[in-house]
Amino acid sequence: MNRNGVAIDATFAEAFPMKATRLVITAHTIEWARHAAVAATGFATSVIACGCEAGIEREMPAGQTPDGRPGIAVLIFSMSGKELAKQIERRVGQCVLTCPTTAVYAGIDEGEAVALGKNLRFFGDGWQISKMIGGKRYWRVPVMDGEFVAQESTAVVKAVGGGNLLLLARDTDSALAAAEAAVAAMKQLPNVIMPFPGGVVRSGSKVGSKYPALGASTNDAFCPSLVGLVANTELTSQTRCVMEIVIDGLTEADVGAAMRVGMEAGIALGAAGGLLRISAGNYGGKLGPFHFHLHKLMAEAGA
Amino acid sequence: MSGFTLKARVPAPLRLDLRGVTPAALAALAAGEVERVPVGHGDAFVPLAEFFHVESRADDVLVLAGDLSRCDRIGWQMDGGTLIVDGAAGDYVGAGLRAGEISVKGDAGALAACEMAGGTLRIGGSVGDFAASTLPGSMDGMRGGTLIVGGNVGVRFGDRMRRGSALVFGDAGDFLASRMVAGTIAIAGRAGAHAGYGMRRGSVVFAGPPPGASATFVPAVAGAPVFWQLLARDLAQHGGAFASLASRGIERRLGDLAAGGKGELIVVR
Repeated sequence: MNRNGVAIDATFAEAFPMKATRLVITAHTIEWARHAAVAATGFATSVIACGCEAGIEREMPAGQTPDGRPGIAVLIFSMSGKELAKQIERRVGQCVLTCPTTAVYAGIDEGEAVALGKNLRFFGDGWQISKMIGGKRYWRVPVMDGEFVAQESTAVVKAVGGGNLLLLARDTDSALAAAEAAVAAMKQLPNVIMPFPGGVVRSGSKVGSKYPALGASTNDAFCPSLVGLVANTELTSQTRCVMEIVIDGLTEADVGAAMRVGMEAGIALGAAGGLLRISAGNYGGKLGPFHFHLHKLMAEAGA
Repeated sequence: MSGFTLKARVPAPLRLDLRGVTPAALAALAAGEVERVPVGHGDAFVPLAEFFHVESRADDVLVLAGDLSRCDRIGWQMDGGTLIVDGAAGDYVGAGLRAGEISVKGDAGALAACEMAGGTLRIGGSVGDFAASTLPGSMDGMRGGTLIVGGNVGVRFGDRMRRGSALVFGDAGDFLASRMVAGTIAIAGRAGAHAGYGMRRGSVVFAGPPPGASATFVPAVAGAPVFWQLLARDLAQHGGAFASLASRGIERRLGDLAAGGKGELIVVR
């Protein structure tokens, strides 16, 4: 399949079940909400070493948040509900509770409840106050700028993590341009995050390593510096730079939709813009239950 | 369907105790059986039909019609369904209510909604003393659900209240929210003396005139704008004097210092 000079591989992205929640962080101004959201979703690129994958989903205007202040919705994904609960407590405790004027609410109502303000309340040293408002419990914790308000719990839902696109381009400039365009298009969609820096990862990995201690290592088939050195290289002398975009979403459809708009954004740049090929990462299809076939996504896009 | 209308035929010579006359309890019965349901009358039990005319309904609602101001314990410990009192109710209406909805079109007597734990109780008229409070000798008052009073309330409203929301569109008597443990009370009218007397925690919103000053409450230095927006937006759904709360500023008084001081009187400007 070839669109606008861009070859679309007959392959698929393989994704995994995860657990996820959405938090709504509000503050006196959108800037302070963003400070908290950026901090809370920092160092959350991959579950391999971060414990979770997290990112900003969208900004919320004042009229859409529970307290009528500007806010930011963040999504946090983890491999288990237990690990997710641990990450929520640490990240909200260190990055939202600490941030001036913020409050934090559950962004998902239906699902298994995990603690949000439930344990953080003890920071109040006995001065914390519980309020039931509209059937939801909130905690009011006295802090130096007034009160930190946090909903007692948030809901955890099943989600899909590890959707991905590999963008094979002529050079660094065109690879970055294609990746940036794809991420910008994906960010317009709800229910997804691209957890890596700027939404893009340059150190794609394969399963296994020559070192027994390591479970994953560099994706040598896509490393331009190894063309001619490794037998299974996927690259040619024309494709000298590859970027990957990893997508986590609340449902399979959300991840598929994000991959589709990402591909369309890359195709719009086309071969003239330096994007030569779009591929995806998988593990043979045996590890993850969710398979996103690139040709099928493009067929849906055309329909 | 399983609903009934019970029309008061003749006024009872003594007070009637209607505990057990709930939508769920009557749902499984035929009209003839409902007529034989025993109700307390003084120190004896008499069949319901002695004082009420029983009619089946096309829906699941239990309607009590007529002047029931001498009928006590309507909806006592009710656990679901809908009960409508098309008139006045006696004492203890909705006491111990756990789930479901009770609607009283007229006035209610004393101790309405006391120890209510869930569900919704709407009283169109006024209620007597000790509404939303404890049963005599008990430690906790209202502990859940929503109580809405269209008229005035008597003294000791919300005494020892622990949880839930109670809204009053009219005035309140003395000792509003006395010994309150937690929960939310909002009042649109004027409050009597000693509001919040001995309250430990909880929030009392005064949408109308501010309550009288008390030596055991201190003015709050810090605002609580986030909490106020959450609460005000929730109260606004009840309309009337509460509809515009979110757009109005507040002053808070913290206390009662004689009982820990974690409660607050919220005066809406």
